[in-house]
Amino acid sequence: MSPDWLAAWQAVTHHPLFGVGITLGAYQLAMAAYEKTRWVFLQPVLVSMLTVIGILLLCGLSYAEYQGSVAALTLFLGPVTVALAVPLFLNLRRIRQLLWPILITLAVAGVFATVLGVGLAWLLGAERIMLMSMAPKSVTSPIAMLVASQIGGIAALAAVFVMITGIIGAICGPALLRRCGVRHQAALGMALGLTAHAVGTARALQEGEECGAFAALAMSLMGVVTAVLLPLAIVMLL
Amino acid sequence: MLLRGLSWLVLCQLLGTALNVLLLPMLPGPIIGMLLLFAFLLLRGEVGEPLHQASSSLLKYLPLLLVPPAVGVMAYAEAIAADFWAVAGALLLSLLISIVFAGWLMQKLIDRQQREDA
Repeated sequence: MSPDWLAAWQAVTHHPLFGVGITLGAYQLAMAAYEKTRWVFLQPVLVSMLTVIGILLLCGLSYAEYQGSVAALTLFLGPVTVALAVPLFLNLRRIRQLLWPILITLAVAGVFATVLGVGLAWLLGAERIMLMSMAPKSVTSPIAMLVASQIGGIAALAAVFVMITGIIGAICGPALLRRCGVRHQAALGMALGLTAHAVGTARALQEGEECGAFAALAMSLMGVVTAVLLPLAIVMLL
Repeated sequence: MLLRGLSWLVLCQLLGTALNVLLLPMLPGPIIGMLLLFAFLLLRGEVGEPLHQASSSLLKYLPLLLVPPAVGVMAYAEAIAADFWAVAGALLLSLLISIVFAGWLMQKLIDRQQREDA
């Protein structure tokens, strides 16, 4: 009797650890590629994402099945979000010195980022449900998903827009900011965290601890403010 | 050490989840948990070694944990394709403009404050 290759292949690809395996593998490859080349377009999250999607499509697996098998990894996003309080606290003194710049930037640039995104998409003719899924694009995905469903968008679509925004921000952000003369670590971190949330924060941590702390601060402030004010603003304006 | 710190993080998140259901439906549990931990650190005035160790080991893997939600893009390929240019254009343009604006504003404000202090 010949060995049943197909059954073995099926057993491997449908094993609950398969999703975890390809994610870990893709991530390590992406990290190695990034560290070797230091090429900005090779953002680990982006490269891992594309690798994992490629493997899933080749093996004929659905996103739902993948999502089920990586639930253990996704579960840790909660405690990691909580852990952001630590760099925030450690840099409190520096943050306190810059209290007014932080609050003004948060209020002005935060509103600007949200209004500009929705306004441009509206001008370019996107549907209302798309607009509502896009409004919270600059905040971390758990908040964005919640806010989007509250204001009449699709939660999962919001997560996708959040991800695209974060990845573009991480790829283009630091170089673009430097070219525009933004050199202060706090300003770099603030811009990355405010507009590109967790992915921007992860990128900012690569720049340095101070940059990362300001990104974490901007991300959490932007998240809290958006979660509270965006649904209110939509109710009052529409 | 690592496990003790991790337990604190999990505890904060669970407390955050409870508060989310009881009082604050608009804020997700992890965010409330982060605010709780931050308030706790403020009261205590320092970061204990277990917590420091757990948080820095977890934060090192933040990009890895973001890969699964990013893969979610594939499930919405059709919905995105329908409005692709509007959405892609708006996301790209608004991000590039607002990231530069945020950085520029922050830098200006910092410069001004430093001049006033000097």
